[in-house]
Amino acid sequence: MQLHRLDEWRVRIDRDERRGMKTHVIAFASEPILSQIRKDLSLEQAMNVATLPGIAGPSLAMPDIHQGYGFPIGGVAATDYRHGVVSPGGVGFDINCGVRLMGTTLTEADVRPRLKETVDQIFRDIPCGTGGKGPFDISPRQLEGVLSRGAPYMVEQGFGETRDNEFSEAGGCLQEADPDAVSSRAKERGRPQLGTVGSGNHFLEIQTVESIHDEAAASAMHLEPGRIVVLLHCGSRGLGHQVCTDYLAEMGAAMKRHDIAVPDRQLACVPVQSPEGQSYLAAMRAAANFAWANRQCILHLLRGSLRKLYGAGTHVRVLYDVCHNIAKREKHVVDGVKRDVLVHRKGATRAFPPNHHEIPQDYKHIGQPVFVPGSMGTASWILTGADGAMRETFGSVCHGAGRLLSRTAARKGRNAREVQDALAARGIIVRSETRDGILEEIPEAYKDVDEVIAVVTGAGLAKPVARLRPMGVIKG
Amino acid sequence: MNFEVLEHTADIGFRAWGPAFENMLAAAAQALVSIAVEIGTVRDAEPYPIAAKGEDRESLLVNWLNEVLYYVDGRQVAFRRFDVKSCGEWQVSGIGWGEPRSEAHPAKLIVKGVTYHQLSVTNCAEGWQCTVFLDI
Repeated sequence: MQLHRLDEWRVRIDRDERRGMKTHVIAFASEPILSQIRKDLSLEQAMNVATLPGIAGPSLAMPDIHQGYGFPIGGVAATDYRHGVVSPGGVGFDINCGVRLMGTTLTEADVRPRLKETVDQIFRDIPCGTGGKGPFDISPRQLEGVLSRGAPYMVEQGFGETRDNEFSEAGGCLQEADPDAVSSRAKERGRPQLGTVGSGNHFLEIQTVESIHDEAAASAMHLEPGRIVVLLHCGSRGLGHQVCTDYLAEMGAAMKRHDIAVPDRQLACVPVQSPEGQSYLAAMRAAANFAWANRQCILHLLRGSLRKLYGAGTHVRVLYDVCHNIAKREKHVVDGVKRDVLVHRKGATRAFPPNHHEIPQDYKHIGQPVFVPGSMGTASWILTGADGAMRETFGSVCHGAGRLLSRTAARKGRNAREVQDALAARGIIVRSETRDGILEEIPEAYKDVDEVIAVVTGAGLAKPVARLRPMGVIKG
Repeated sequence: MNFEVLEHTADIGFRAWGPAFENMLAAAAQALVSIAVEIGTVRDAEPYPIAAKGEDRESLLVNWLNEVLYYVDGRQVAFRRFDVKSCGEWQVSGIGWGEPRSEAHPAKLIVKGVTYHQLSVTNCAEGWQCTVFLDI
C-alpha cells in the first residue's frame, strides 16, 4: 500500500491504489500513530469504504482508527443523500453509542475522602456489565415514546430536569424515527435494558478537571480545576444490536436488486432513497433515541446516588452528549459545492465549529463540545470543534484512544487484583462485575490518548479545552 | 467440543467444525453460546425450536447464529447442545436444548452481533469448518 505523507498529521492513499475505489483515503495520523494503525486491517477497510456508491469527498480515518467490521472504527464517510447509499455497517451494531459528560457542584476536595463510598454507591445504583435488566420497568407503550422522542420523553416521564437535553447533539432526539420500523425482537431485547450501561468498553467514570487549555470555553462549560465531572459511555444496548442485525440480513437480497457489489459483505448498503434505505434510517433513528433515553435514565440514577451521599443540594447538569456511531443527514461543502449528504460516523464524533446553527446558544461562541475518553485509568479530554473539521472531515473528529491489544492479549499474564491495586496506588478506584472486565480494559490495551489529541488539534479539527483525570471507574 | 475461540484486536471469534455442514452449524452455535454464557451447569432440560434460512452458505451460517443469539440475549436462554437438520436449499431447522438463564449460569460477554468480517466456510477432508467473528 502506497501512503503519501502530506504533512505531520495527514497521510493519503490515492484512488488508483486499488480497483473499485471511487475516491482517495485521508488518514489523520502522526508517524507514531501510523505505525500502530498499520498493524491491523483498518486502512484496507478505509479503502473498502472508498468503493461505496455515491461517496462524497474522501474516505476518512481518524487517529484512533482500528480494525472493525466492514467500516473501520474511527472512520467517517459521507454519501450523497439523493444518489448515494446508506450502510448499516457504517453505523455499527451499537447504534448511537456515545458519551454524555455531566458537571457537578462537587469538587475533588468533597469527593476524595469519600471516593470508595461514592464508587460503591454508584456501582450499586446503576446496573453495569452483562446483567440484562435495568430498574426502569417501561411498558410497550412507553417504549414507543422512547423510540419516537428519545431522552426528552424520559424527562417528561419524570426522569430528568427540564434543561437536560438542551445540551445534547440533536437535543437527545432524532426526528423522523419510526418505532414501526423496529422489529418486535429488537423491542423485546431492548425494553428490559433501559437504564443499563452494558459491558465491553462501556463505563461510567468520576473524574476531576486536571488542567484547562481554553479559558473561554471552560468558563462557558462551568469547568475549573478540581471540579468533579462524570463521564458516561454507553449506547442502545440489545435494541440497537438487533436493529443492525435485522437490516443487515435484509440488505443482502436488496443489494442484488439494486445491483450493488461491495468488497466486504459487512459493508452491505442500499440506496438512501430506496424503501430499504429509508426503513433502515427510520429504525436507526429510533434506536438512537433509545440510546439517548438510556443515557438520560442513567443520569437520573446518578443524581440519586450523589444526592444520597452529598445532600439534596448536589446538582448534576449535562455539559453535552455526543454520539459516535450514527449516520446523519447534513449539508457540507464538497469540492466547493454545497451538498446534501449522509455522514456515517463509525467510532467518530461530530465536531461542529463555533456559530454553527446546531450548537446550543450557551456554546455558540466556543464550538460544539467533543469528549474523547482515554482508557481506564488514563486521562480523558474535552475538545471543541474547529473550522478545519468543517473543511476536511464533514465536521468530525476522533472518539477515543483506540484499541491496541486484543482482549485475550490484554488478559494474558495479568492479575485483576494487581491491576486494581496499581490503579488504587494512583488514587483510582475501579469496580467491575468481572475480573476480565478490568483486565481487558487496562491502559496498555489502548493507544496514548494524548498522542491522538495532538493529531486532531495539530490538524486543526478541534481545540483542546480541558484534560480530565480519572478518580473512580465503574466498568461494564 | 468441536470449536476453538480466536482473538481479534477489538473483538472475539471462533473456529467450529463437524463431519457434515449441519454438525458444523451445531458446533458454531455451541461456540457462540459458550462465549456469551457460563455454560458449566446448564441442563439440556427443554427443547427450543430454532430455524434459519439464507441465500448461500455464509448467510445461512450468519442468520442461524443470529437466531441463536436472539434466544440467548433476547429470550434469555442458555443452551447445552444443538441438533440441526437441513430442510431445503440454504434452510435449516434445529432444536437447541437448554433452559432459561438464571444466576447459576451468568453471562460472560455481551455479544452485539455476528459479522461477515473474515467469515469463512470451507469443506475439507474431515468435513466442514467455519471461522466467525463476533462484535462484542
